Amino acid sequence: MAVFKEISPNASAGEKVSNWFENRFPTAFDAYRVHMSEYYAPKNFNFWYAFGALAMLVLVIQIVTGIFLVMHYKPDAALAFGSVEYIMRDVPWGWLIRYMHSTGASAFFIVVYLHMFRGLLYGSYRKPRELVWIFGCAIFLCLMAEAFMGYLLPWGQMSYWGAQVIVNLFSAIPFVGPDLALLIRGDYVVGDATLNRFFSFHVIAVPLVLLGLVMAHLLALHDVGSNNPDGIEIKGPKAPKDAKGHPLDGIPFHPYYTVHDIFMVSVFLMVFTAIIFFAPEFGGYFLEYNNFIPADPLKTPLHIAPVWYFTPFYSMLRAITSEMMYALIACVVAGAAFGIFKAQLPKILKPVIAVVAVAVIAMMLAIDAKFWGVVVMGGAVIILFFLPWLDYSPVKSIRYRPDWHKYLYGIFVFMFFILAYLGVKPPGVWGEAFGQDIAQRVSQFGTLFYFGFFILMPWWSRIGEPKTVPARVTFAAH
Amino acid sequence: MSETLVDTNQIDSSKRTWLIASGCAGAVGAGAAAIPFVSTFQPSERAKAAGAAVEVDIGAIKPGEKITVEWRGKPVWIVRRTPEQLAALSQVTNQLADPESKRKQSDLTPIYARNEGRSIKPEYFVAVGICTHLGCSPSDKFQMGPQPSLPDDWHGGFLCPCHGSTFDMAGRVYKNKPAPDNLEIPPYMYLSDSRLLIGEDKKA
Amino acid sequence: MKKILSILLLAFGLVAGAQANTEGVAWDKAPNKTNDLAALQNGAKVFVNYCLNCHAAAFMRFNRLKDIGLTEQQIKDNLLFPTDKVGETMKVSMDPKQAKEWFGGNPPDLTVIARSRSGEKGTGADYLYTYLRTYYPDDTKATGWNNLAYPNVAMPHVLWQLQGKRKPVYEVAEEHGEEVHIFKGWEQITPGTMTPEQYDQTVGDLVNYLQWMSEPAQNTRVRVGVWVLLFLSVLTFFTWRLNAAFWKDIK
Repeated sequence: MAVFKEISPNASAGEKVSNWFENRFPTAFDAYRVHMSEYYAPKNFNFWYAFGALAMLVLVIQIVTGIFLVMHYKPDAALAFGSVEYIMRDVPWGWLIRYMHSTGASAFFIVVYLHMFRGLLYGSYRKPRELVWIFGCAIFLCLMAEAFMGYLLPWGQMSYWGAQVIVNLFSAIPFVGPDLALLIRGDYVVGDATLNRFFSFHVIAVPLVLLGLVMAHLLALHDVGSNNPDGIEIKGPKAPKDAKGHPLDGIPFHPYYTVHDIFMVSVFLMVFTAIIFFAPEFGGYFLEYNNFIPADPLKTPLHIAPVWYFTPFYSMLRAITSEMMYALIACVVAGAAFGIFKAQLPKILKPVIAVVAVAVIAMMLAIDAKFWGVVVMGGAVIILFFLPWLDYSPVKSIRYRPDWHKYLYGIFVFMFFILAYLGVKPPGVWGEAFGQDIAQRVSQFGTLFYFGFFILMPWWSRIGEPKTVPARVTFAAH
Repeated sequence: MSETLVDTNQIDSSKRTWLIASGCAGAVGAGAAAIPFVSTFQPSERAKAAGAAVEVDIGAIKPGEKITVEWRGKPVWIVRRTPEQLAALSQVTNQLADPESKRKQSDLTPIYARNEGRSIKPEYFVAVGICTHLGCSPSDKFQMGPQPSLPDDWHGGFLCPCHGSTFDMAGRVYKNKPAPDNLEIPPYMYLSDSRLLIGEDKKA
Repeated sequence: MKKILSILLLAFGLVAGAQANTEGVAWDKAPNKTNDLAALQNGAKVFVNYCLNCHAAAFMRFNRLKDIGLTEQQIKDNLLFPTDKVGETMKVSMDPKQAKEWFGGNPPDLTVIARSRSGEKGTGADYLYTYLRTYYPDDTKATGWNNLAYPNVAMPHVLWQLQGKRKPVYEVAEEHGEEVHIFKGWEQITPGTMTPEQYDQTVGDLVNYLQWMSEPAQNTRVRVGVWVLLFLSVLTFFTWRLNAAFWKDIK
């Protein structure tokens, strides 16, 4: 039990109240010290480091606006679409709450993608922060589920058919697929049953999981301390400290980063509110035009695409055709060959690799490309979890990597954008050349590039001469 | 922490200035942001439309007959009183708790109902049919004379089955009953001799 | 050479256009005047008189028209069916079963039609503006009408008395052995009660009204947005200076 601290009767009222609480809830005060006023963060954070706090802000915005929307929304297939228009028209200021929530959903993904990219740039996922990264990937996965289920709720044409297509993906799984899809839907097609259970997941189940994961993400981070743009450990055994044991290159999170984050929040809010008030549809990307048509199970719209934040992965799904399977089989063969002939593995594993490879190739030939499309799409997210163990570069941060790494990262980003763009467009958007569908070939190349970037990272991250990493962080007073 | 070289006094005052500025602006912003959220609690257009005034045709009501219409989810009675029922009103005054409808006038008795019959025209009595005790809807007891649960000199009115409160033909509550107040007279007006509008009145 | 090139370009444009969107011609730009109360009121009148017989606007309340400058009395006198109340929504008089018999399907609800029809070729209002002005008589259709913006549409030309009958004129050209139809203009067959300019103006008002009806809060949204952004600029300036005030300490 903690020590009960008596305070002088001459102390101010504020101090007495504070002392009363500290005697009865010391953890809260310890937490403040551990996580805020005495959490030393590197002083050289740049703007890339704001996105974590912004992600938390957007999470709060989504929860609060969500609470108010649920007061008026009706999770019933016959009433849902109408209830959203009811919110837009009949509920005082309902339109604003709705736009905040719809813009918030897209903002969440923009912020999270930028936040993840920061991790990629500065090696924030590397030892000892692998678990921070893993919790983060789990958050990303939950976020995708949350957004997908939330999107069904307005019960528009895109909502309905997007859900229909994605749930049908599960039916591509051999043997269990159709039953699994039936179990998810609760019916033979997406319907009222599906809507109700997605509502429950979206409103309470996944948000609770998200909140738990965010807490875990932050606790894991604070245990090992933040990384920084130079990739230098400011709290390591060799890092310089002052007389009190605080890292010389660190500053207390509160007040320096609380004040910094408040500024970044103001800037973010300007962009956020500009969209909400002046362009809530954002060209049909944040609120899709087709979703203003009530769901019609008998009529599929001409062009269904998932919302923009899913499209890079959707492109990869569409890229897996029966032709692409041959390219993938070639990759499996190459991988197995490497494993058997080049890799330094215990001798016993080599025949195992060969057997597994043959089995995988047999499955790839036997099972529809449709199923492998799902595998690739899922794999594109799952591979992120493994990043800490794929990066073999001697330096963490892009600043000290060989220059050509920067170009490679640039191309990765570019390909990700191309995949996203192609996912939004209908197939064949770039026409044909030499009898080839250009868009499809590009997405196929993009898919291979994406996976190659990660799978081959143990090799390419070691190529080239890294620059010398300084002993102290680079910081210019401002 | 790294060495600080600047004059602490200067830093403190600029920090304080901007802390106060940001704090105030932030508080204003937070308050302004809260307004739309709290506003969503107010009745929506749909609720207001559902609560809109109701037009009633009273041309077909026979003397001594009562019809009930719904307004804002509540039963509203329209009784066409007979001359006997109107005459009875002055005979029961000393048995009533509030014969001149003085209690809670602004809530229960609009200006045009501050008369003996508690109505715009004496012949038609309009009232909200909800007992002022705990909210049950009283039953019609228009027949005069002795009846079960009623006194021998019953002059016609209403009896609430839940706890026995009684009201006269102008909705005035009898003394010594659980109900404290006379029945509420809703806002209403005549659109014509045979059409009433329940829910709106002329002064509004 | 130039002529061949331009025809090629046009043909490619038409073909590409047709490929990219199987739904007909390019869209004209609808007039954007959602702040023009007179235009909105005129559009509301046209809408109630011509559209509500078959279509519903089930999420739009009559009394919301107060936002475009009409009083409740004006709404009751000019725009309400006698059986409706001013707080009610614009429901349709037509029975859905009869609609299916007569038109092959239920006429869609029009409340958010202007938002739902936006696409690559323009805004939903652009589409509606084009659609309502590109009807032409077609004997092969059950209604006797066809439409350039929405080929084979099941809806008849409700405004035909205003526009009159007119048909599109094509110039047939040969390109690479293929026949290409190039749209040249319209030929008026029978006149309507309005001149083409008057008709375009009326349709413009109607479409403008549909644009407003699909999001009645839009004008408020922009107005409030200006103030919010002004406030946030001030707040951002304060927080920027606040940040600088603290970070001056850090060397």
